[in-house]
Amino acid sequence: MSWASLIATPHSESPSRANRISRRVALDFGGVFLVALISLAAGLSINRFSARPLPLVYKTPEQRFDAELTSLVTASPLALPPAPTVGLPEFRAAVQEKSALIFDARPAQFFTEGHVPGALNLARDNFAYDYRQLSSILKAANDKPIMVYCSGGVCHDSRLVANALLTLGFTNVSVFTGGWEAWSAAGLPVSRGPVR
Amino acid sequence: MMPATKSTLDYFAWMVILALAALFIYAGAAKLGDPLEFADTIAAFAILPAALVNLLALALPMFELGCGPLLLVPRTRRIGALAVALISVVFFSALLSALLRGLVLDCGCFGSGPPSRPRMWLELGLDAMVFSGALFLYCRLLRRDGNVRPAL
Repeated sequence: MSWASLIATPHSESPSRANRISRRVALDFGGVFLVALISLAAGLSINRFSARPLPLVYKTPEQRFDAELTSLVTASPLALPPAPTVGLPEFRAAVQEKSALIFDARPAQFFTEGHVPGALNLARDNFAYDYRQLSSILKAANDKPIMVYCSGGVCHDSRLVANALLTLGFTNVSVFTGGWEAWSAAGLPVSRGPVR
Repeated sequence: MMPATKSTLDYFAWMVILALAALFIYAGAAKLGDPLEFADTIAAFAILPAALVNLLALALPMFELGCGPLLLVPRTRRIGALAVALISVVFFSALLSALLRGLVLDCGCFGSGPPSRPRMWLELGLDAMVFSGALFLYCRLLRRDGNVRPAL
């Protein structure tokens, strides 16, 4: 006999009305529990085939934004579209005239040991955190050109960060391809110290 | 045997059934569109751990959608009424707790909307009404089922 029929049909052998009602209430609670389980199974099944499925564990909007930011700088450098580049003379002029926002894409440790004067650390390996820290400066800079550098030579961090910034809507972004190697080899001024 | 005649209370019970079924089908359908937004709404209450937020965001709309047909089908009506009563207690407790903690949020009861404390109080009142209606219905069905086959 199913639970539904138990509910619908009174029990002739039940000892008293109170017992009968208690039993019905218990069965009803069981029924609600079953409905809850079916609802969970249905919800998970629909989610499984959804275009944008929810992960099983909730992430806050900040965590989701961080994950998106991180994904921007973890793409293969070979798959990236080429970002505009600048040479040493142009980069040097921008640093001296403070006409551009300069971002150092190297890890914080290297930035602390030495960086281009006026540069801010927007490390590729800590992009989500650094980006959020610098978001007010980036917003205030508005149309100011942005120049990104890393170690130089074969490093891809500056390209990854520049492309991430382009994806985030900044339009005037370029890469100083010579990077830290070219800057320090030219004997140009150097700043030292941790990220502020 | 005299044919059973419908009393005013019977008509009232039918109104409660139809209103609750419509309300829950609408509420469930409104939440289905954007489960991520509904998960954010649940998280804003700061009651559940992260591991349960998305599970509730996926299950609750289905549960509410299920309550409608359960209320409309005579054999499952009592379970539907109990489910509505229990879930309205959960909604009421969550909203009251948020109000007492000074939170201003969108309850997400019928899809998304702007966070508003007056609206939260309004929805608290609605939950109390839903609970009263469902409890009335459940007790009535339970009493009737104890005697004869349900008329409702």
